[in-house]
Amino acid sequence: MKYLTASYLWIFVVLAPSVAYGQKAKEIPTDFYIDNLFHITEVMVTDVASPPAAARFYAYTTLAAHLAWEAANNPTDAETLLAKSNIEFSDFPKAEPEIVPEFAAIYTMLEVGKKIMPSGKLLELKQEELLREFSKNKLVSKKAFAKNIAFAEAFALSMVAMAKADGYNKLSTFTRYSPKAKDGHWYPTPPAYMAPVEPEWRTIRTFFLEKIEEYKPEPPAAFDLGDGSPFKLQLDEVWKTSKNLTEEQELIANFWDCNPFKVDFSGHMAIGIKKISPGGHWIGITGIASKKAKLDWKNTLYVHALVGMGLHDAFVSCWEEKYDSDRIRPESAINKYLDPAWRPILQTPPFPEYTSGHSVISRTSAEILTAFFGNDFDFVDSSEVYFGLPERPFNSFFEASEEAAISRLYGGIHFRDAIEQGSKQGEKIGKYIVERVR
Amino acid sequence: MECLKKMEVWALCLLAFIGFSSQKQKSAAFELLPAKSTGISFNNRLKEDQANNILRYEYFYNGGGVAVGDINNDGLDDIFFTGNMSDNKLYLNQGDFKFKDITGSAGVKGKNSWTTGVSMADVNGDGLLDIYVCYSGKGNLESRKNELYINQGDLTFKEDAKTFGLDDASNSTQAMFFDFDKDGDLDMFLLNHNITVINEIEFDHARSMRHPTAGDKLYRNEGGKFTDISEKAGIKGNAMGFGLGITASDLNGDGWIDIYVSNDYIENDYIYINNGDGTFSEKMTEMLQHLSHFSMGLDIADMNNDGLVDIFTLDMLPEDNKRQKLLYGPENYEQYALMVNRGFYHQNMRNMLQLNQGKGMFSEVGQLAGISNTDWSWSALFFDADNSGHKDLFVSNGYYRDYTNRDFLKYKGDYYFKAAVAREPADTLHLVTSMSSTPVSNYIFQNGGNLVFVDQTKNWGLYLPNFSAGAAYADLDNDGQLDLIVNNINHPAFIYRNRLRETTGKQTNWIQVKLKGEEANTSAIGAKIFSYNEGKGRLVEQMPTRGFQSTVSHRLHLGLGENGKLDSLVVVWPNGKSTTLRNPGINQILEIEEIANGSLFAKNEPKTHFEALENSIPFKHQEYGFNDFKRQPLLLEMPSYVGPVMAASAVLEDGSQLVFVGGTKGSPGKMFEVKNGIWSEKKGFRSEPEFTDSDAVFFDANGDGHFDLYVCSGGYHDYLSTDESLQDRIYINDGSGNFKYSANSLPSMLTSSATVVAADFNGDGLQDLFVGGRIVPGKYPLTPSSYLLINLGNGKFEDKSVSFLPKSGKLGMVTDAAAIDINGDGTTDLVLVGEYMPITVLINQAGKQFTDQSAQWIEKGDAGWWRSLAVADFDSDGDLDFVAGNFGLNSQFKPSAEEPLTLYFADFDENGSIDPILVSYIQGQPFPFPTRDELLDQMYSMRPKFTDYASYAEANLEKVLGKEQLEKAQMLTATELRTSYFENTGSKLAGRPMPIEAQMAPVQAILPLDYNNDGNLDLVLAGNQTYIRIRLGIIDANMGQLFEGDGKGNFKLVPQTISGFSILGDVKSILQLPSDQDRIHFGINNMGIKTYQLKKMP
Repeated sequence: MKYLTASYLWIFVVLAPSVAYGQKAKEIPTDFYIDNLFHITEVMVTDVASPPAAARFYAYTTLAAHLAWEAANNPTDAETLLAKSNIEFSDFPKAEPEIVPEFAAIYTMLEVGKKIMPSGKLLELKQEELLREFSKNKLVSKKAFAKNIAFAEAFALSMVAMAKADGYNKLSTFTRYSPKAKDGHWYPTPPAYMAPVEPEWRTIRTFFLEKIEEYKPEPPAAFDLGDGSPFKLQLDEVWKTSKNLTEEQELIANFWDCNPFKVDFSGHMAIGIKKISPGGHWIGITGIASKKAKLDWKNTLYVHALVGMGLHDAFVSCWEEKYDSDRIRPESAINKYLDPAWRPILQTPPFPEYTSGHSVISRTSAEILTAFFGNDFDFVDSSEVYFGLPERPFNSFFEASEEAAISRLYGGIHFRDAIEQGSKQGEKIGKYIVERVR
Repeated sequence: MECLKKMEVWALCLLAFIGFSSQKQKSAAFELLPAKSTGISFNNRLKEDQANNILRYEYFYNGGGVAVGDINNDGLDDIFFTGNMSDNKLYLNQGDFKFKDITGSAGVKGKNSWTTGVSMADVNGDGLLDIYVCYSGKGNLESRKNELYINQGDLTFKEDAKTFGLDDASNSTQAMFFDFDKDGDLDMFLLNHNITVINEIEFDHARSMRHPTAGDKLYRNEGGKFTDISEKAGIKGNAMGFGLGITASDLNGDGWIDIYVSNDYIENDYIYINNGDGTFSEKMTEMLQHLSHFSMGLDIADMNNDGLVDIFTLDMLPEDNKRQKLLYGPENYEQYALMVNRGFYHQNMRNMLQLNQGKGMFSEVGQLAGISNTDWSWSALFFDADNSGHKDLFVSNGYYRDYTNRDFLKYKGDYYFKAAVAREPADTLHLVTSMSSTPVSNYIFQNGGNLVFVDQTKNWGLYLPNFSAGAAYADLDNDGQLDLIVNNINHPAFIYRNRLRETTGKQTNWIQVKLKGEEANTSAIGAKIFSYNEGKGRLVEQMPTRGFQSTVSHRLHLGLGENGKLDSLVVVWPNGKSTTLRNPGINQILEIEEIANGSLFAKNEPKTHFEALENSIPFKHQEYGFNDFKRQPLLLEMPSYVGPVMAASAVLEDGSQLVFVGGTKGSPGKMFEVKNGIWSEKKGFRSEPEFTDSDAVFFDANGDGHFDLYVCSGGYHDYLSTDESLQDRIYINDGSGNFKYSANSLPSMLTSSATVVAADFNGDGLQDLFVGGRIVPGKYPLTPSSYLLINLGNGKFEDKSVSFLPKSGKLGMVTDAAAIDINGDGTTDLVLVGEYMPITVLINQAGKQFTDQSAQWIEKGDAGWWRSLAVADFDSDGDLDFVAGNFGLNSQFKPSAEEPLTLYFADFDENGSIDPILVSYIQGQPFPFPTRDELLDQMYSMRPKFTDYASYAEANLEKVLGKEQLEKAQMLTATELRTSYFENTGSKLAGRPMPIEAQMAPVQAILPLDYNNDGNLDLVLAGNQTYIRIRLGIIDANMGQLFEGDGKGNFKLVPQTISGFSILGDVKSILQLPSDQDRIHFGINNMGIKTYQLKKMP
């Protein structure tokens, strides 16, 4: 994903033919949207949003942008992703003539982000910048700004009201997770022994999946340390793989690490090393693909929203399985049964092992993106350049999702069945969503 | 008396302070003397750069040390400072607080490497104090070799560590010289630390082997040559040791000097008990019940003048709300469990005062004493600053960077992320130097003589914020008042002149003792001095190495108060022989010489009243293991843990008795029969494992003349708020001792109850019941129902709560109840106690209903966290008095009417769960008790409000909830946490707190008894609380306390050494059987029953 600075954007815009206010919307580059979506990613990084929470934030912010744009363009058209979802909610404000769809889309998105993310307030600055850009380049007339902002704010309020009913606020009413004192089950992992992330995420409303049980993977290999048992074989595989990692495998593991909060300790001092989440990585890929395909606003917003909603559903499904099977992490098992001094090259994320979240959500995203862009869509993934990792070319979305999945084995944080079954789970979810919105 | 002749007694100086002008009294009690006037300009200056900084060396900000001693035997203590990166300095005391820097001429500036602690001791036994300097840091082996400066007697020193075998190249913190094997010369314990961080994964490996430079070492002096005997002597030497504090003392009173090592980080502290055969055994877990986590400096002294030495270790818990909130992260019960399971024991982040209970057992009372929170602390020194006769406490503290600030963890990660996004390299040194730096004030606490210390930092003039480390006390001007010397980071050292006598005008008295050992241990390190006055003995020990990286004066000081009197002084020399002085002159410096033929000191071991019995009720209590905090994260204690409760039947004709012992979820209660002291389980009785028994009583439920059994079903666990398992039960006796559950006897009462009392409330001759409701599972602190059950005579009970009880029985969170006729009108009234309840008196109105007349009856019956109640005629006036057990004062909470504990609750975020937010006072201001993480976990709506720790750190409740939310909140308050005695004056219950010792832990069970047959009722109080928030920490200082009553309602603790009680764990019930009154049974949670026998006194 290319990150544009405001000045670069401005140059791009003045090169475009001068247009009447709000009428020739197609000349406004979609970079505006993609860059502002990255600001939402930045807030998630600040807040250390957990992977499932991040997906939820992406879903509502990108959906808001999509809906606001559609509403501004065609107030009577009901062919939105929301209309195709399970959610019945139509209490959105109607757009009036002077609403500029691009402005409304981005402003609404930022406004939703502002309201649903803990540090969302940081986006106020971005809203001001947006105002300045649109004003400077005369994309919205002076007297229409107030109207545009009022529309976006009202739209965002509706979106937040819709989000509020999804069960998120009820999460704190559940009894917190207690580790089972049984072999083969999950226990907090070093070095920070963090409490498990969102054990009740299964209770969150999904967009497309009707019964999350239908997407349940096969159960994991039963815990059995006997030689030759499926579990033992996989345990040995993680251990041995980690010891004979090729340079390329290590690179792959790091490229797809996507751990929002890695804790480094030094005596009393702890420093959290932050990265974007797995969902953030795929939102990044969506932006890269959109730009490469030179998608227009309508399609850019549509595909981002669809990926966002798909990520959310995939995480809910995956998290249900995680806390059902409550499986031990390779790190705990290897330390206990094979090698007390072993450490995975990636830090073990703080939740149960089965299935691999990255495998599930990567596959779901790849299904959606392939259906949209086609199977032979090659692209260069630059999402991780910030973290000192090189750009990485892929021939297809599936190639990327397969690599993301197996990276968890190289990283030493997942067993093979969690990866393979996770990919299957993601495939089923992705295919279903594609079918639903066709 | 013989020895007096051989003693050289001389007065050095008597003070003339009378002429001191009153105008000057405004100045500080501890007057900070400027470098200009003292000549002491030493400054432990640090230079942070790429090569030298906290990221490269973990102990970069630990600071330097101080050693005090009279190097030229002119009667004036001289001072040596160590500088971590700067030259060490030696200052010669020229009297009148004038010092001369003789570092250069003395040849003691040391080498250019990381310098740590310093000791002054006469290592070669020639009567002159030598100086031993420790080194650490990341340098090479040469740079780390410690130095021994041998005093040449002419104010010059010669470095000669190698000759003595003491040029040890460990990463040393401090050396301690002492004679552990009583051979007359000084041996050395070397306290070391690791300079690399050990990851959790390497713990087991690291613990399994000795580390050459991180492990502590013991050197034995063999004729002037020191030999490392660590391994042979049983000294741990693994890489986990991050030793920060060392001192030695005879902790178990067996005459052999023991060692206490305090360790930073996860490794627990060590107590090395001297076996007397050249070896030590590490016995910390047998002696302490919990300890400080990041232990730093320490001191060991007889803090309460009972002749037993107490231990005080430092940690890093701040006093103020803001710094606490910035420091506390989420509580992690799984990580805590791992720590305990892996053998690191119970460690909490706060200073710990371990009160010596005798026989090598200690009770931790730091919070009761008021000295638990002194921020990031380094040196602790007990000394009698005001000459009151009670040792006061000085604590140095400060850390140069706000290193543990939680925002630093989360949000400095942003720095890396932003640098990455901006494609700029991240600069870690910049990260370090961008950490904020907050100087804090040291502390001085005045010992109140009642286990409680009073913070006098401001009044006594020690308030200057700084970063202080090593410290020492000495009477620098020989005026009979101990002065203070403190080593600071990036600031000149403090020289505090003690002028308490002048500023307070109190004519206090003192005596100082200079010991002269007869062998090579010339200042008799390890000697004890017992001073006696009117039968009371107190103890000081000669151990100059104490505090942190420092050595205090070798001259011992005793304050003698205003009417200074001293009956005798007994010096017990390191070899066990003693010298006694009768009526020594005071306000002078005595020099006492060891004499070869002194008599051996023998201490009388007191006889105990009670002894533990092997034979007890054969019941194992096993907890279900539910973590209540997972259900309601803002609870303070776990309400699930209530058992075992016990109830005894009346004595049967054959002299036997039945005893019911309650079970808990997963392990049912049982019935036992005892006959002639032999216990057997009563077969046929069956309770179900789903219940948690919270109280029980034998009474005649159906009027057939046989006693039946009522059992309260309580607990919290994963019970629904109206769970079938909360139904109380009645077991009917068939007349031959067979009890059967009677399903239809009771109305539906799905309440977690805590207490039951049986009495005839309506005057129809049948036993009715009052049942106190404790809690609504999952919905704390909503008020549960209490019940008044009327006996219908056919074994059935009718719920008459609505007509009989105020508020239809919604009386509060009741914990205990008593049924007595308090107003003498012939009907039985009720007295109730409970959590957030005042002592409640319900007066029976002619058997028809109860009215709440607490206001008329109770004087000082404030709402508390009351948890137990006992009734007896303690003042022998014919009516019944009360003792009510409360939470005690050994925690962070010290509420009063002015500064109450207030629990605000409502479903603030409207998600269907109760949000209980406790507000407590810290430094006079009310603040929400939950940490940011706890609050955000309870209410997701708080996340945008407090996106970092700093924003929450100073928030009060209005800021947290807002006016609107606050208005819909319900409130509960508590203003009294002390276990108290309530005297029945006929028309009132007049309350007063029990003695301070009764406040050392929550009192869960009370037994009135007359243990000494003097006709006056005495008391046994027991309790403790293990199932409590990690942040509050286990409260376990009550080992079963016997209080002797004087028959007038006054009680005095009988020390554990005399009572004989030594109970560990949470006592939930006490039982004394009418058929065998000499035995006391204690029901201990998650263990079973422990029985004590009253010994027949001759």
